[in-house]
Amino acid sequence: MVAVAAAMLVASASAQVRNSAANPIALNAVLTQSLSVNLSGNAVNFNLVASSANNPGSTTVTATTSWVLNNIVSLVSLYAFFGSSTSALTDGAGDNIPSADFQLSDNGGAFTALTNTVAFGGANAGLNLFNTLVFGNNKGTHTDVMKFNINLSPLPNLPPGNYTGTLTIQAQAI
Amino acid sequence: MKTARLMRFVVVMLALFVTSLVSAQAINSGAQPIALNATLGESLTLTLSAATVNFTLAAGSAANAGSTNITATTAWTLKPGRTALGVYAYFAAAATALIDGSGDSIPSSAFFISDNAGASTALTNTVAFGGANAGLQIATVPITAANRTSSRTDVMVYNINLTGGTLPQLPAGTYTGTLNIQAQATP
Repeated sequence: MVAVAAAMLVASASAQVRNSAANPIALNAVLTQSLSVNLSGNAVNFNLVASSANNPGSTTVTATTSWVLNNIVSLVSLYAFFGSSTSALTDGAGDNIPSADFQLSDNGGAFTALTNTVAFGGANAGLNLFNTLVFGNNKGTHTDVMKFNINLSPLPNLPPGNYTGTLTIQAQAI
Repeated sequence: MKTARLMRFVVVMLALFVTSLVSAQAINSGAQPIALNATLGESLTLTLSAATVNFTLAAGSAANAGSTNITATTAWTLKPGRTALGVYAYFAAAATALIDGSGDSIPSSAFFISDNAGASTALTNTVAFGGANAGLQIATVPITAANRTSSRTDVMVYNINLTGGTLPQLPAGTYTGTLNIQAQATP
């Protein structure tokens, strides 16, 4: 009995821990930059009254701009624009409603015509909805509630018809 | 001291911003379309400044003026292809423009309208509306691209001439009738 115990003690004292080689796992997490615009709706109808300055759109559209950026400082901007200033809406028969007579009110502000040249769209066919300077904390959102109006007072001879067009909302970060 | 620190911060931030702008590329979101659909309907309306005219008749008299003139305002927004617009005054029947309910009548040929101070003219034509020989075209407007949306006014002055035919023998009574004013765009 004493001999067995002595043998165990000897074995224990002479054994060494064995370690395998360290196997590294490289971790690489990339949070890509992103900039997106989501709209609450994508269709607006107008019942026009000839020569009237007030032809409101059937609904408002909310644009939610979201960004994740990796610049130290960024400028995030949102734009509304048409492809062409002269034919924002057209009846397909040569009669047009220009962007100068299409008005947008952003977040309860004054109605403003789309007459500026912006980052996207045709010359004199856009409107800058907002500019936000982003420092350090490069993740954020911005909400814009847009109301629309068509002013027909400068177009007293616009013939009756169905006028269609596409207004595009797009953001840019630099 | 505080101002200097603030200035330094502003300069640093501006430098960072400029550096960032120079080195960074623009990132664009997807383009989100909103479909716009605007409908301008064709319309043609005529409104009157009043809807009643009274006459105090004198037997056998050519001049029985209405108590008031009436202004007709015609407004339109027309499709391309329309080339003319007419404004008409008419009765339903030429023989019985106004009646007393006892078989006595004042014909439309005895009823005269002066439009916009023009000559006073009897309602004896067959027009787009009303009975045969019971109307008068008050206005004709050529329609072009320049006046597809427009309006006009016609100030109408009325008179009943009781000198023609058997009208000098028209029995005393109250004669009533309805004159209609209506516009039409063609084709």
